[in-house]
Amino acid sequence: MAEKVNLLINLSFALSLAALAAAAAVYLFRERMPRRLLPGLLGAAWLALTAALALLWARLGRPPLSNQYESLLTMLWFVFPLSFYYYRRYPVPEALWPAAFAAPVMLGVAGLLDRTARPLMPALRSDWLILHVLASMAAYAAFALAAVAGAAALARRRCAEDEELLLRLTKAGFAALTLGIASGSVWAETAWGSWWSWDPKETWSLLTWLAYAAALHLRRQGWRAHKFAIMLMACFALVLFTYFGVNFLLSGMHSYA
Amino acid sequence: MIKLFSSLRLFFALCLALGGVFVWQTVFNTGPSVYGSPWFMALGALLAANVAVCSGGRFKTASASFLLIHAGIVLIILGSFASRALRFEAELPLRAGTETDKVQSGNAVYRLPFSVRLESFRLDYYGEPRGVVTVMDGAGGRDFPAAAGAEIRLPERGVSIKVLRLMRDFGLDAGREVKDKSPYWHNPAAELEISGGGKKKRLWFFANFPGMHREEMPFHLFYRLENAEVKNFTSAVLVRPAGGPAFAAEISVNSPLRYLGYTIYQTSYDPAEAAYTLLTVTRDRGAWVVYAGFAALLAGIFLWLKK
Repeated sequence: MAEKVNLLINLSFALSLAALAAAAAVYLFRERMPRRLLPGLLGAAWLALTAALALLWARLGRPPLSNQYESLLTMLWFVFPLSFYYYRRYPVPEALWPAAFAAPVMLGVAGLLDRTARPLMPALRSDWLILHVLASMAAYAAFALAAVAGAAALARRRCAEDEELLLRLTKAGFAALTLGIASGSVWAETAWGSWWSWDPKETWSLLTWLAYAAALHLRRQGWRAHKFAIMLMACFALVLFTYFGVNFLLSGMHSYA
Repeated sequence: MIKLFSSLRLFFALCLALGGVFVWQTVFNTGPSVYGSPWFMALGALLAANVAVCSGGRFKTASASFLLIHAGIVLIILGSFASRALRFEAELPLRAGTETDKVQSGNAVYRLPFSVRLESFRLDYYGEPRGVVTVMDGAGGRDFPAAAGAEIRLPERGVSIKVLRLMRDFGLDAGREVKDKSPYWHNPAAELEISGGGKKKRLWFFANFPGMHREEMPFHLFYRLENAEVKNFTSAVLVRPAGGPAFAAEISVNSPLRYLGYTIYQTSYDPAEAAYTLLTVTRDRGAWVVYAGFAALLAGIFLWLKK
């Protein structure tokens, strides 16, 4: 079954790369055919990833949420439906470009991570694992899309036109991050005896939350268009450190990730 | 003063200050934590005041989502202060058969309104661990199942290895006889008889010390376990309240015991002592304020998303 999982993930990677090529063709050459193919390719990539995660769940006998490899795939899983949601609202290829870029990058990074599947350690054996990790990964997916969309808007000098998309992605990410922090806190009290321990992962999640809160408030003060896009990219750097940097550089109770 | 507290500039300054503190503490600070220091708590109090005054000033015109979100944040910060002031945490180490109502917090000893007796402690594994003998040489690594009586032949080296005995938790009794100290796989060991070149040698190989005997052998031979992951660890206790009937309970990771406002957690165990458990006892009268804050914050966020 492990081979089937790997095959499906490789298929998702290939389809994502094809989607990226289609997006590039639309952008560079204004081609019509890739424009029509793009949603289909991303949809197929998502289906392959969904099948891979379902098989992985069945193989492990638990949700695939316990290490960095599994959580990165879960984060990527959220990237697709978030993109399609906004594509329905703004049915232009540009709404799918962030996903077309993010998907192969994330799958490529996932390929470098340790895929060894281990049983859950006692601290992770809780129903809170599902809500806490899913909410956090949904948040990171939304923030990743917002950062990539912001970068694309800056490059194309369309920050004002794309701001609505950036704002909605950021709001979705902020809401999910709030749920992730709250559920993590309640779980921490059940597992570790304290709802907040200033663990590095907790602290950097709070820092990320404050940064996005500040960005949203600054936007209301007039920091819009390209300023908002730049803030989202800067905030996403905090997300990257929270997700990767804390695991590899700082020790704490979340070290099993 | 009200104008200062209701200023968004103050909020941004506090975000920067707190961000700087978090980065300093997590990345650079090697000394005591700054989170308990008066100035850090002052930052938190200032943030609560800032959010309260900012949102209070818009009370009449603000939306329900705005008020809930900001009230939630203020409640969480106030709850954290209440929790810090009112929280009690202590350690309760127990050996099987012992009972106590005393718990230790730092140098202080406190008496609980009930006593706790450890009836038994157990480790649960996901499956039965399997021993594996690994031979590593220039040709690479080869694994062989380790079962008592099994024979491993290495014809290219003219060596055979016989598995004589397997121990889960190797120990020596008073008479220096080998025995299992516990039913748990804390110190797995295999006694191997290595024959070759007309000679025989009996050696103990320990899973926790794979480098042992390296210099005595022309190839690397070590013993390890597969499928030895711990699923959970559980203390079966008897709780005896003062003046009331005793009752039995089990405490495991993610399944604490809540009684009379106290919560008892399964914190740790000692691999060297099978009948020992470390429990943690807490009581946090401020936590409910924090949870009320989370509920308000999440309700407000949900309404805000629907806009």
